[in-house]
Order: sequence, then C-alpha cells, then structure tokens
Amino acid sequence: MGGFTVLQLLFYLSLLVFVIAMIMKALKISNMPLHLRWDLYPIPHEKGKAKYGGSYFEETDWWIKPKEISIANEIKEMGKEIIFVHSLMQNNRPLWVFSFPFHFGMYLLIGFVVMLALGAILEISGTTVSAASASGLVVIVHYLTVVLGIAGWILASFGALGLLLSRMFNGDLRKVSVRADYFNLVLLLAIFAIGLVSCFAFDTPNADLRGFVGSLISFEPAGVLPIATAIQLWLMAILLVYLPFTHMAHFLGKYFTYHKVRWEDAANLRGNKIEAAVKEGLDYQINWSASHIKSGGTWAEAATEESSKDE
Amino acid sequence: MSDDKTTIKHFCHKPGQLVTLDPAKFLPLPPPFDKPELEPKMKPLSDEGRKKYECDLDSIITVKFPRPETEEEKRELVEKFLSGLKKLFEKENNWTFLQPLFLTMEFCAKCQTCSDACPVYNESGKVDIYRPTYRSDILRRLYKTYVKKGGKFFAKISGDNIEATWTMVARLMELSYRCTICRRCAQTCPIGADNGLVTRELRKIFSQEMGINLDPLHKKGSVVQLAVGSSTGMNPAAYLDNIEFLEEEVEERTDMKFKWPMDKAGAEILLIHNAGEFLAWPENPEAFAIIFEAAGIDYTLSSELVGYDSVNYGVWYDDVQFAKVALKHAEAAKKLGVKKIVLAECGHAHKALTVIADRVLAGEYNIPRESSMTLLREIVMSGRLKLDASRNDDITTTMHDPCNMVRLMGIVQPQRDVLKAVSNNFREMTPHGVYNYCCGGGSGFAITQDANFPDWRQNVSGRAKMRQILNVFQDIIGPEHKKYVCAPCSNCKGALRDMFASYGLFEKCNVLYGGLVELVVNAMTEIDKPFIEWEWH
Repeated sequence: MGGFTVLQLLFYLSLLVFVIAMIMKALKISNMPLHLRWDLYPIPHEKGKAKYGGSYFEETDWWIKPKEISIANEIKEMGKEIIFVHSLMQNNRPLWVFSFPFHFGMYLLIGFVVMLALGAILEISGTTVSAASASGLVVIVHYLTVVLGIAGWILASFGALGLLLSRMFNGDLRKVSVRADYFNLVLLLAIFAIGLVSCFAFDTPNADLRGFVGSLISFEPAGVLPIATAIQLWLMAILLVYLPFTHMAHFLGKYFTYHKVRWEDAANLRGNKIEAAVKEGLDYQINWSASHIKSGGTWAEAATEESSKDE
Repeated sequence: MSDDKTTIKHFCHKPGQLVTLDPAKFLPLPPPFDKPELEPKMKPLSDEGRKKYECDLDSIITVKFPRPETEEEKRELVEKFLSGLKKLFEKENNWTFLQPLFLTMEFCAKCQTCSDACPVYNESGKVDIYRPTYRSDILRRLYKTYVKKGGKFFAKISGDNIEATWTMVARLMELSYRCTICRRCAQTCPIGADNGLVTRELRKIFSQEMGINLDPLHKKGSVVQLAVGSSTGMNPAAYLDNIEFLEEEVEERTDMKFKWPMDKAGAEILLIHNAGEFLAWPENPEAFAIIFEAAGIDYTLSSELVGYDSVNYGVWYDDVQFAKVALKHAEAAKKLGVKKIVLAECGHAHKALTVIADRVLAGEYNIPRESSMTLLREIVMSGRLKLDASRNDDITTTMHDPCNMVRLMGIVQPQRDVLKAVSNNFREMTPHGVYNYCCGGGSGFAITQDANFPDWRQNVSGRAKMRQILNVFQDIIGPEHKKYVCAPCSNCKGALRDMFASYGLFEKCNVLYGGLVELVVNAMTEIDKPFIEWEWH
C-alpha cells in the first residue's frame, strides 16, 4: 500500500463499509420471514383495474382465473416515483418543491461521478479528457461531466437548503426533527458548499476529482489535491460510512415497502412457494407472555389451542 | 397547530392529563350542523372514572386499565412492556409483521405528508398527539433506544432517545386506540412507511405480552367467539333458532317460503355473515337468503362453532387470536366440503379471511375465499333476478366504502355496479373508492361503547364521514327527501347507526343507512311489498 494517501485509504474503507452495510441491510430485510399480507390499493400492476384501485378480488373464482398483470404500468408508476417523487408531489407540494430538485440533483451528481470515472479510465488509458480532444466521445464525456456536475450541484444544493430551512422553520417539521435529521442535511450542504469553493478557487476542479477517482481505480498513489477538494472528499467518505445507518438509505427501503408490502399481492395457492413459507412461519416457536397465548410451542400449536371463555 | 405541551418529553414525564380536547377547534360541519351547539356534546369523564382508570392522555377511556397503586407495580408494567417491545422485533415471535414494521421503523423520513391524510388528526383541529407519526415516533425511539444494539448510546447522540416510564406506557396504551387503522396515511407516504401498522403493532405488545386489550375486542369479543361460537354470545342452538325466526319473517315480508340451507355438505359455497347482522340488522341476511334462493345459488350456512360468525377481531389487536378465529372459519368450510367461502357484508371479515389469513391458512385449510360483492354483481348482471330500479326511485343513494374492503383489498367496482343496477339516483361521495374516509368505527371502535369513548367517536373519528354524507346530500338535505347511505359492512353500519342517532340525522334530514342487498331485494319485481322499511332502527 506504499504511496497511498490517507484520503485514498479512507475512501477505499468508506466505499467498502458503504457497500457491505447496504448489502447487509438488504439481506437482513429480504431474509425476514414472509409476513402476513398487508396490501394497500391502488396496486399499479392490476391490469385494467389499477386506475380506480381495483384488484383481482373483484372477480368471482379469482384463484382459477389467469391473473392479469401489467408490468408496464408498475414500471411507469415506479418511474414516476423514482424520478419525480410523485407521491410527494401529489400529497405534499410545499415539501416537494425542495425534495424533487434535491433528489433529481442527486441523480445528476451520481451521473457526474460516473462521468468522472469514465473520464478517469480514459485518462488511465492515455487519453486526456478535454473540450479540445479530437475524439467526439471524449468531448461528450468532458461536457457531460461539466453539465451534470453544475446542474446536479444547483438542484441538490437548492433542495437540501430548502429541506433544511423547512425543518428549521416549519413548525410541523421542526417538532418531529432531531439532531440527526439536521446533521444529515448540514453534512450534504457542507459537501456542496466546499464543491462551490473548489470551483471558484481552483482552475481544474473536475480534473482534480477525476485524478483522485483515477487513483482509486488504478490503485496508484493520488496526486496532491487542493485543500478544499481534499476536505470535500473527506466529508464524502464520512457520508458514505454514515448513510447506510440512517433513514437516508430509504432508496433501499422503498423497494421493499412498495414491492414487498404495499404491492405484494401474490396469493397463497395450494402447493406454491408461499404455502411452504407459511408453514415455516407457523413452525416458529412463540414466546408471548399473555395468558391467552400458549407459549413455548409453535405458532400452529398456539393457533389451534382450544379456547375457554375464562381467558 | 403546534402544541408545545405535547412533546415526547411531556408525553413521558408530565403528570396529569396531557391534552384537553376543545370541540370549538374541531373542523366545522356543513348545514344543518354548522353551529357547534347543534352537535352532540362530549361528556366529561366522571371524577370516579378519572381516579380509577388510566386516562392521562386525553381523558377519553377505551382500555379501562386500573391505575397501578405502587411504584413497584408501575416498574413491573414498564418492564413487561419493554419485554413485549423486544419480542415485536424477533422473527420467531413476530414473523407475521416483522418486515413491514422494521421498514417503517428504519426509513420514515419524517416529512409529515401523512398528517394531511388522517381524518382523526385533521378533524380534531390538529391535536398533535393524534398525528399519525406521533405514536410511530414514540415506538421508533423505543426501538432505537431499547431494541437496537448500542441503542442507548447511539439514540442519545442522534437525539432519538426516550425514557420508558409508566406515564408513557399508560398513555401509549390509550393512544393505540385513537387510530382507526384506515391506512389513509400509508397511502400517501412517499417512503411506504405505515403508521396504521404501527398502531396495530403497539396494540399487539399490550395484548400479546401484557394481556391488556379492549373488552369488546377480546374478553367479550374473540374469546367469546371461540368459546361460544359468536362474539354476540349467540351459541349454535340460539343461532339455529334465530334462523328459523328469520325464515318466518321472510315469509311474512315477502310471501316467499323456503328453508335456508344449513350445514349442507358438498355445497359450492359457505356463506358467512357477521353474526351481529342476525341481531341488529336481520333484514340483511334475509335479503341474502332471498337473492340466493331466487338466483338458485348452491350454498349453505354453517352452524359449526365460529362458522356462522365471520368477525375476526384479532385483525385489530392480536395475531394469535386472529389466527385462531381464521382457522375456525376454515375448519367449518373444510367440514362441509364446500368449494369456497363467501363473505357477506362485513369489511373487516373480508380482509381478515381473504387477505391477511392468506398467509395463515395452509394445506387443506387453504380453501378459496371470495367477496359477496363479486358474486352479487354476477347474479345481478346475469339477469337471474327480475329487477326494476325504479322501485328505488324515491330514494337517493350514496355508497360508503368500507376501508377494509376497498383500500385494503381493492374491491371497488362490483358493489357500485350492483347499486347502479338497482338505483337510478346514485351519487358518489368525495373522495370515494380507495381514497374514502373511514366511518369512524374502524379497528374495533364501532363496538367500543365504554365510558366516554362513543362521544369521541361521534365527534372526532367519524366526523370526516359525517361531513361527506352531509355534503353529498346537501342540495336535498331536508327531511322531505329520502336518502340512503349504502354501507356493505356491519361495523360501518354500527358506527353510522350510533353517529346518526347522536346527531339526529334521520329525524332532521331523513338519512337512513343500510346494506347493499336490501336495495337489491327492494328492486325485485316478484316481491310486492317494499322490502326496506323506512324507519329508524
């Protein structure tokens, strides 16, 4: 590891923590037992019925009829939610005014990082990324990096600032906010603010960042970075380590809340996988203490225990 | 409305009554109830009740939990609560809802979007403790402080810490019964968090670990149902007597003489009613019997223990009681060898047996379940009944959507198709369908008649529905027009009955409530006399 800067090592570590923590969280959630159904309508994949919130339960003998599913409609709803934060737009417009640019800005900034990585790979292979390049692809990478970086920065900074001010001055939000809620936004704003300083204080902020990304990709020692860029990267490393343990990881949770709870309407039919999972659940040992529950045995035993009026 | 006397710290530590409801701040109703003095009064709790029972939340009592006398008792109760809290996050003890609960605990972004969707919070004039995230925030802090590894340390740093005190536990016990679990809040959540689920999970800690629950749901509800056969206390013999009586009544009302199929092995359908119908609204099972007889449906009723009462109150407070009742329903169907179970007009029974029990019933107990709404639509649309919608022309109708049937299982259109086929004067409330408002009696509230709780239900949890009903009929609100709120759900009817009575809605505005099948029979040309008796009951 000779020659690696502390910042590089920190970044490798934070990336590792981020990836492992997110995978662990996803595994933890997905390995939880199959829960009882808790559908919430409308469910967008209900073909022809989703527009008014209907379901296959509207059919007689629904269990023998082919289930008509519209994957396209589900993807459309997911797209609206992921790109436009549609439910917030419909139900909480004052907050959406900040939340949408924040989230959209973050997507653009992720695109910015991808472009930095692409540029870094080009540079490792000997091609300098600049507007003057003879290669059209390189010029596109150059300009996309600039455009995504600036647009993402503007939108995400505006959104994060608006969300922070909303938390501070909107009574309804202030009373439910704790230190961590403010810290999350302040940390993001600090990263954005230092990014702005870098842009104005140094000639080649994108090239500096690209160089650092390149050093991470090539496992080569990083060059000397301007102090502001270094601070920005330190803060980003902290964010990467911290994020999986906060509600900011809701981009992961949202998959499960929508697809595994609200829209999860797969029926338990005899002999299918769900029935097997149900049997597994009924075999778990139960240990609740109330007198009407037969503890120490399985759920199936507790549920089939004969009852008396005196419980 | 921001009320800085109801912070989490106050909730956990401040002695005495935390909140005093002010009816003047409740959202105003349309005419003829547009003056507060025309609304039902909220009676204060008696001094005796206040002294005897835990009521330091808002001076409303549902649980009727005696105040512990010693600090030792309080400490033990808190420890028991924390023991239940931990079990809620164990897969063995709570495989039933661990995943959705964990997701709600971990990912809520505290955007408060859900607040605007909650009828209880808004109609009360935004009393902060009724905010959907209020009780969730308490449970989340408890989870972060007492369940997560290193919780006390990390929760303190993040500001999410909480101290479990008896004051907090006692208030939380009551607060878990200030939400109808209609899940309108969850519908608007951008993250997919579910405060309705939190309400139910809190009730589970109290019931499954501490043995604390509402008498109408448990002691006089599911316990009686499992032991006697029905939560009404009606045993199989009394039930069979009742059916005989209803057969005679049908003959008197319609000149149709026929036996209701009972315990008919091998029938295609087992029809299960909410047994409350037999006692409170016998015209509803009568109308089902008339329709099924006229349409030639191959069905049976059951006189098996629990097999004649579709209610499953466990769906509101206790997974084990829920599973016990669901299995009894399936067992009754299995014994008769029917092809499917059809749920009559009861919303929570629909959801309990069709949707939630879907992950409890396995093997030979996994008998298909279906809504009567779809079957009725098929019967009506098939032309098997001779119907004349003009026989209902003197009545203007609207549809109340039971949350359990609509938002929580997506049965929206069949009941409308049936209603439109028998009513030329149908109009929709706003909003309706999956975005409806609860009747105010959801999650067991309709059958909770203790102490001063009915006043709260009439004035707060049912208020949004009351407003919708007044608005939909506003141009014909006078008593000269007959108006009918069609509520295909026993619990909703119970809530509407009590609310209409407390406002005098039938006398003042001539608004009646009832089921769907009654309107169908009222439109049947082969029956001479009107089936719907236009009188208050």
